[in-house]
Amino acid sequence: MKRGRIHRREAFLNQVAERLGRKAYATNVQAPQWRHQPQWTVFQGYSEDDLLEVLKTQCAAIHTDVFETNKEQLPLTLQKVVSRYGGGPVVTWNDPRFAEYGLSHLLYHHWRNSGIHVHIWDPSLGAVNITEAEQANIGITFSDITLAESGTVVLFSDRGKGRTVSFLPQNYICIIPKSTIVPRMTQAAFYIHQQVKAGKEVASCINFITGPSNSADIEMNLVVGVHGPVKAAYVVVADG
Amino acid sequence: MKVTLFITCLVDLFHTNVGKSTVELLERLGCEVEFPDAQTCCGQPAYNSGYVKEAKEAMKHMIRTFEHAEYIVAPSGSCATMFKEYPQIFRGDREWEAKAKALAAKTYELTQFLVEVLKVENVGAKLQGKATYHTSCHMTRLLGVKEAPFKLLKHVEGLEMVPLPNAHTCCGFGGTFSVKMGDISEQMVDEKIQHIEETEADYLIAADCGCLMNIKGRIERAQKPIQVMHIAEVLNRHE
Amino acid sequence: MSMKIGEEPFHARVKSGIDNSFMRGAVAGAQERLHARRLKAAAELGNWEEWRALGEEIRQHTLANLDFYLFQLSENVAKRGGHVFFAQTAEEASQYILDVAMEKQAKKIVKSKSMVTEEIQLNAVLEKAGCEVIETDLGEYILQMDDHDPPSHIVAPALHKNKEQIRDVFRQKLAYDKTEKPEELALHARQTLRREYLSADIGITGCNFAIAESGSITLVTNEGNADLVTALPKTQITVMGMERIVPTFAEMEVLVSLLTRSAVGQKLTSYITVLTGPRHLEEVDGPEEFHLVIVDNGRSNILGTEFQPVLQCIRCAACVNVCPVYRHIGGHSYGSIYSGPIGAVLSPLLGGYDDYKELPYASTLCAACTEACPVKIPLHELLHKHRQVIVEQEGRAPISEKLAMKAFGLGAASTTFYKLGSKMAPSVLNPFTTNERISKGPGPLKAWTAIREFPAPEKERFRDWFHHRKKAGDQP
Repeated sequence: MKRGRIHRREAFLNQVAERLGRKAYATNVQAPQWRHQPQWTVFQGYSEDDLLEVLKTQCAAIHTDVFETNKEQLPLTLQKVVSRYGGGPVVTWNDPRFAEYGLSHLLYHHWRNSGIHVHIWDPSLGAVNITEAEQANIGITFSDITLAESGTVVLFSDRGKGRTVSFLPQNYICIIPKSTIVPRMTQAAFYIHQQVKAGKEVASCINFITGPSNSADIEMNLVVGVHGPVKAAYVVVADG
Repeated sequence: MKVTLFITCLVDLFHTNVGKSTVELLERLGCEVEFPDAQTCCGQPAYNSGYVKEAKEAMKHMIRTFEHAEYIVAPSGSCATMFKEYPQIFRGDREWEAKAKALAAKTYELTQFLVEVLKVENVGAKLQGKATYHTSCHMTRLLGVKEAPFKLLKHVEGLEMVPLPNAHTCCGFGGTFSVKMGDISEQMVDEKIQHIEETEADYLIAADCGCLMNIKGRIERAQKPIQVMHIAEVLNRHE
Repeated sequence: MSMKIGEEPFHARVKSGIDNSFMRGAVAGAQERLHARRLKAAAELGNWEEWRALGEEIRQHTLANLDFYLFQLSENVAKRGGHVFFAQTAEEASQYILDVAMEKQAKKIVKSKSMVTEEIQLNAVLEKAGCEVIETDLGEYILQMDDHDPPSHIVAPALHKNKEQIRDVFRQKLAYDKTEKPEELALHARQTLRREYLSADIGITGCNFAIAESGSITLVTNEGNADLVTALPKTQITVMGMERIVPTFAEMEVLVSLLTRSAVGQKLTSYITVLTGPRHLEEVDGPEEFHLVIVDNGRSNILGTEFQPVLQCIRCAACVNVCPVYRHIGGHSYGSIYSGPIGAVLSPLLGGYDDYKELPYASTLCAACTEACPVKIPLHELLHKHRQVIVEQEGRAPISEKLAMKAFGLGAASTTFYKLGSKMAPSVLNPFTTNERISKGPGPLKAWTAIREFPAPEKERFRDWFHHRKKAGDQP
């Protein structure tokens, strides 16, 4: 990727350095070991099942429906959940996990044959993807990491993993492999930090999504469904 | 136990009865009470208004006055807090910082002293009626004395304590704030009184004369039937 | 300075705040709800004080090494193909953004909520140049539709408006024909703004936390508007106050946890979005071009001073939500886009004492703000520090007050003077006293007795009683 331009950095940083009592700005600092690290103790020692319980409890607080299933039942469950939220049009990521989890038939044949429009993200089609997402009733993605404490799914954008699949449709369904559940944001942030340290490129967009969009801007009344999806549902798949 | 009284200027001048009650209460609990006559004011009025230089003169005077004391006890959370803040105010001043630290270490608000040092919760007080308690800001947030007054009041015979809604909000005193920002202060004290009225209490009790003067002054102006008492006065009712 | 809202003097603003009963009801209700939610969210963690200590430590370390982290951030943004502009002033910042807009021939710009763009008056600059600027945060959108009514709260900008007022604004400006139900109002905004996102040329955002190690920016919302602002237009411009930065993802996570709990009592808000550079070649959504504008605008003058802790702020408004003064006067009384305790500390620093000298006195120093702050900014101490500066360095205190305080210094430092003064008090105040009360006091007592009774000084001071008693041997 072509390097971007940096404007007027020298004078700016030298002014900051001077105020901090340095002659020139520092170019190498290591963050210390923080004296307190309470974030690591949250749900410490919880099993996958314990964490799932935490997730389910939290989902009740964030207006998100949870459906539990296993790999065999997943196609049927997803089919039911989609029709429960009003059916198509459907837009999904182009993610190898759909095949791994036995969803290819549903996506490529079953829905299409039963009159449900399905758009699978395809970068070669350019902006068409966005129009499709905008007109979709339901967007479906997988969760890359799932945070039990807050009921959050973490999505890393990529060529087949468009950002707007989770934002533009009226409803959003996220498939959560049970093994992706971690206690809280701490573990996800640590994983990404390790990637950065190892010199790997972070995704251009990392989304931490916690239920449907909402606002309390009018008289502090909670309105669910503002700019993003109006409803959200998680389908948790036992994958152990 | 020898207790050196830091009576505070408000009590000395305007609330003598609070001072008397404090002395009698401490003596009844077996303390020997002394009162250094040289004491004046902790300096808070000037300090909080930004006049640190002027305040420091008062503070030094108070440090000297109380240097000999073993336990300093004040019937006011806010003034005791001021003593506790002296070390920070004199930070970097070798001579006075050390003296300020020594002063702060032996300073107690009255109820704190009773509960933490004398380890008494039942002082044998009696008062008939229903009361609510105003938790003053400096005493709870800065001095960190939250439980002591409640522990003591719980044991007052005949007294029914009812919780005060929105107890955590300031009554609107704030020293010079009460006159500089009278319009805002008025709204604050009115809301406080409204919450006190909601409790239907006969008595409003607090441990700070500043807050009491503010709340009482407004209650009297509005001619509301609520009696305002300092906690020392309540704890000293024993007959 | 540009953070200023309105020209009315302080006490006139306060009066209109106090007289605005709807606003006061709304603020009191919001404060109570948010207070309870924040305490619950903190209690759920069980060790909130440890979290605060961690938050404070992270912020202090970052500020102490701000030059380095900004350097690292800019390097990493550039590595990922983004452009960085360091703006020392508000004018430089808005000029750069205007230049980008002109270069892109931008007609329509969508924005997600950002206090710093309010501070640099970006909308006015862009609108003057002919761009249409659309706020997408529901609260900001409402204010914008209402002829740019200024925000009154840093998290809930339209807190001072009721739903009927909002309905009327929508009817007037947006051909709205439904009721004042928040759901219907929000749905209308959703439908209207959808078209705007899809047709906008530029998306502008603020920044909750920039992450130095990766050159990323973090946006925290509940509505999802920041995601659409950054996913759909071809160009993204992010504006950040220079202190809004953390070293790594690990610290971002901690501060986001503190922010969402303190601001709205949520474990996380619905959308936490971390964006790094423009989109990849094969990605379809996300911006083709990314600009990061880092704004000083007076902040560096705060570094290295006793006021440095104010830069620890993560804009959660927990202090605003517990402030008993804000409760009664509302956000507009502060005359600044930054209101409440944080506003009372920050506005004089960024905007000067000429406009904001009253704010540090509009506090009882009750310390509710300090107690609520998730990164432990000693807000009430900084308010006090302002008073000290106003008296000692600025020399702005009234002469009568100076004299009174001089007298206080003398009086309180000398037993003789104190005793003399206090002995005289009853006779001096005697003419004003009835039934041991003063209802109409002279001099400084006038303001007190305008509202409340003042106790008459006791005829026998406590000290006199104590000595008489001792002499009389009236002791156990």
